[in-house]
Amino acid sequence: MHDARDAEDTRLLEAGEKSLLVEGYYGVVIGRSRLKVRDPERALDVAHEVVVRLMSELARGRRYRVPFRVVVHKVIEWKVKEHFQRAKAIEVELDEWLALASEGSSGELSADEGFESFLAGLTELEQEVLTLRYVHDLDFGEIGKRLGKEPNAVHQIHHRALTKLRRRAA
Amino acid sequence: MSEASVETLFDEFALAYRRGERPDVGEYLARAAEGTERDDLADVIDRFLQAVPARAPSEEEVVLVQARLERQAPLLALRIRRKLGRRAVVDALVAALGLDPAKGEKVDDYYHRLENGLLDPEPVDARVWSTVSDLLKANVRELAGVGPEPLAAATTFLRESTAVQTRMMAAARAPKPAAPAEPDEIDKLFTGSA
Repeated sequence: MHDARDAEDTRLLEAGEKSLLVEGYYGVVIGRSRLKVRDPERALDVAHEVVVRLMSELARGRRYRVPFRVVVHKVIEWKVKEHFQRAKAIEVELDEWLALASEGSSGELSADEGFESFLAGLTELEQEVLTLRYVHDLDFGEIGKRLGKEPNAVHQIHHRALTKLRRRAA
Repeated sequence: MSEASVETLFDEFALAYRRGERPDVGEYLARAAEGTERDDLADVIDRFLQAVPARAPSEEEVVLVQARLERQAPLLALRIRRKLGRRAVVDALVAALGLDPAKGEKVDDYYHRLENGLLDPEPVDARVWSTVSDLLKANVRELAGVGPEPLAAATTFLRESTAVQTRMMAAARAPKPAAPAEPDEIDKLFTGSA
């Protein structure tokens, strides 16, 4: 799911197009900042801090052993935390994670936030329904045909899966 | 009107996002009941955004962030990006809205305040947004009302005001010129006052 985007990120990084690389994430940086910090002006402050941090990381010439998107999402998380806590400790944690994620580091790192991690905790059938809907963009009828189920049954599985995700979020 | 469920809103958001549209997270959150429902929706969408490939940013988003990096108001940054002078915007407004060309200076003053985040964008007439959006080829309403990044960090180190700052502060403290007795069409377009 992420292959094309990760490959493009690597190409931009190798071509030295650091600004373009970061710019490609402005939408998700703003979107996630707004979800976490509801005030639009403050959310823009956080988005700004994320971008500044990413640019400074790239300016240091650091390379990562995880896809760049993972670094982006981690920096968003920490900058949001920092916004709410205003604690120096958060910045230190971020520094440590980025060092661990750098090439050359051998520390253990579980960081890939792929679609599979979004579906974690759901049954196989629920995962299949959500994948067909949000990755393959199929409606309930089409999903039903693929799985040999009535659209109404698919709808129920879908709803149950989302309710589980919501409970997990809560 | 009852709010839509978290599941319905998430489904709508996720489908739109995956189809390459640009669903506004703020609008979706506003449609969820305030409190737990809204927080749950924010959390589920947030985790979804981490899990799927990031969509390309809109030009408005690029301008919002770039403007913040360059300490400019976004609307001003967009005009500069388009390589247009303020006069071009003012002329377009005067022509499109059928205003008296002799009052161009007044339009210019309002527009200057609008693009620098010094004028409340809420009451500004839709025809103004439409004209400026057409000229600048972007959803300018999304960019308005945001000023440049505050210079708090930079000014912390200033012990004394510079000469320019002193003049600006004096100008800000100076009494405003008396408002005309009757607001005209231009006042109405920019402030909603009849």
